[in-house]
Amino acid sequence: MKTVESALHKIQVVDVTKRFDADALGLPPVLDRITLDVAENEFLVLLGRSGCGKTTLLNIIAGLERASSGSVRVDAAAVSRPGGGKGMVFQQGALFPWLTAQQNVEFAARNRGVPAAERRALAQELLALVGLAGAEAKYPFELSGGMQQRVAIARALALDPHILLMDEPFGALDELTRIEMQNELLRVWAARRKTVVFVTHSISEALVLADRIVVLAPRPGRIVLERRIDLPRPRRRTDARLLALYDDIWGALQ
Amino acid sequence: MMRRWRDVLYPVVVIGVILAAWQAGSELGWLRRVQFPPPSQLVQTLYQLVQEGYPEGIRLWAHLGITVERILLGYFAAIAIAIPLGLAIGWFRTLDHLTEPVIAFCRSVATLSLLPLAIVWFGTGEASKIFLIGYGCFWVMLSNVIAAVKLVDPVLIRAARTMDTDRLRLFTRVALPAALPRMFAGARVALGVGFMVIVGAEMIGTIHGLGALIMEARTFYRTDITMVGMFVIGALGFAIAVGLRRLEMRLLPWQDREAGRSQ
Amino acid sequence: MTRLHRHGLGALGALAFLALWEISARFVWRDAQVLPSPTQAIAAAAHYLTAGELAAHIGISLSRIVGGFTLGAAAGIALGVASGWYAWLGRIVRPIVDLLRPIPPLAWIPIAIVWFGLGEPSKWFVIFLGAFFPIFTNAYRGMASIPPVLLRAARTMDVDGARLLFKVAIPAAMPDVATGLRVGFGLSFGTLVAAELIAADRGMGYLVMQSRQLGELGVAVFGVLLIGVVSLASDAALGAGLRRLMGRRSGH
Repeated sequence: MKTVESALHKIQVVDVTKRFDADALGLPPVLDRITLDVAENEFLVLLGRSGCGKTTLLNIIAGLERASSGSVRVDAAAVSRPGGGKGMVFQQGALFPWLTAQQNVEFAARNRGVPAAERRALAQELLALVGLAGAEAKYPFELSGGMQQRVAIARALALDPHILLMDEPFGALDELTRIEMQNELLRVWAARRKTVVFVTHSISEALVLADRIVVLAPRPGRIVLERRIDLPRPRRRTDARLLALYDDIWGALQ
Repeated sequence: MMRRWRDVLYPVVVIGVILAAWQAGSELGWLRRVQFPPPSQLVQTLYQLVQEGYPEGIRLWAHLGITVERILLGYFAAIAIAIPLGLAIGWFRTLDHLTEPVIAFCRSVATLSLLPLAIVWFGTGEASKIFLIGYGCFWVMLSNVIAAVKLVDPVLIRAARTMDTDRLRLFTRVALPAALPRMFAGARVALGVGFMVIVGAEMIGTIHGLGALIMEARTFYRTDITMVGMFVIGALGFAIAVGLRRLEMRLLPWQDREAGRSQ
Repeated sequence: MTRLHRHGLGALGALAFLALWEISARFVWRDAQVLPSPTQAIAAAAHYLTAGELAAHIGISLSRIVGGFTLGAAAGIALGVASGWYAWLGRIVRPIVDLLRPIPPLAWIPIAIVWFGLGEPSKWFVIFLGAFFPIFTNAYRGMASIPPVLLRAARTMDVDGARLLFKVAIPAAMPDVATGLRVGFGLSFGTLVAAELIAADRGMGYLVMQSRQLGELGVAVFGVLLIGVVSLASDAALGAGLRRLMGRRSGH
């Protein structure tokens, strides 16, 4: 298994294993000795079927769950709890419904005691970045699914995070909106470069977004394939090289 | 546009037909006046109650006022205690497990069965009735507030934790606002309970209040007053429910209309 | 936190509550006519009632609630399902129910006595009302919120008319109906007790009322506790029965 040769490994996952209490007897672990490195500003995609452990791995990196054994380091510091610069975007329903889009984005800054004028400016700048200028005063229920996820991305970026963790953020959207959001994400990422770990079950989504794809198989959760995508962005979804990779990965998932 | 008119028209027509049949039945002698006073009689009685009052000249507004006053006093006392207590119990799981059976039991005690005890402790005056209302409202509101906190969507908590939110702010800035819609639903249910308790409590040992009105009237075979009283009680209950809904929509503007209709 | 831990804490809380009551009643208030302790209440009841009398009171109360509730449930389900299924019926029934629903069942007691006299039927009627409204409302709502796709799927399989109603619609509405039954039962029970307090000569509610006239507060407290226990037990029995009938779908 090749690891990226880079002077600075932003995220280091070493020998992480995860078992749930419920399945102590006989069942293979959800994650089995996963070792993985993510370089600074790399866009890594974790790809696999539902239930293969990719979300669990993401939660462990985020500090929301504990590994049964092994360690995770971000910026060489061990991960023990959530927050602390590990921004996260969830699949759906994570926007606070009682706050407007603007107030949602301002949430972290408000907790830190940032003065009102400053946080308002920051929020407006980020909402404009994700293409929602003018929608600041709307409540989540007034926004479409795609718009809600844009707010979620803006909210995660408001922390000025070290890394950005995304758990199937476009999984609940229809295909056309999903494609639009993938393009938007790449545009935002070009403007605000971060280290990203992105979880999906869609091969085409992985191929369009990733610098590197890591494919996981379930029970025991393990890495079965790793591919670097050296093609420049934006990538045409019908590019022959992408389609060849598609077959390659599809084969590995069987 | 057409559908709206139909929705209003049908109920009006149905009720109208029933009233007409009722009136006709009474005039034709099929329905006895004592048991089924006709609508025409009821309107007269309503006027009488407003103008002259019953019994002993207590006007309808006075009865209404006393009933409402009792409900409000008991209700607000109850929720003032139930809300902070419920929030604490819902947030700290150990506390919740400790108190769960006790709360379930106290809630299943039929409130009105405490009436004799209430009279011993507080006398036969207002205090005993307000206590009963408070008791009934309290346990219902408490249970609902606890559930409201426990049912906060875990995704919201997780999202807040990824944004460096400390434990106190997790409660005040996330759990509390997220619990508000269910707390409001609980407040509505609690008020309904209070309403039912007072009607029952007023039927024993008092002549003031709507419950007392309909009970007194029956003793003297004034079925017409009893019926008018029942409808006034119903109208009051309806007004309270509608009022609370309006208040909720005003205070919680972020509620998606569909979700808010679940009660 | 394991199940055992959770139940253990619950038992601890309950015991602590009883102990606190017992101690404060005996040593702080020290007047069994103001706040009897649980043991004093049971002793008073044992003194004033024979086991047979107690059983008779409980029995008559239970017979009333079973009678009234069964009628209310039958009417509520039948009418609620029919009103939900046949729109024309719904348009007639719903305004009437909506008009009468805000009137608390207890408020019907005087008129029930006028119509049915002072005997059992008036009690059954009031308890019937307590059960009917929530059960009707839930049955109606259950029918109204059946996912249309289920009905469409059944129709493509040549299931229609009465078979569609009984084999698809009603099973789909059952969880809501089950909820309605539990809510209705709770309401019925409360109505029963109140009705017995106000206008009866037998039953658990009457027992509480009578003890006040006797000046025996211990019996009153016993009655209150008894009502609470019977209420919880019967609600648990109903829940178990619904689970048996409906399996995991019952949501209870």
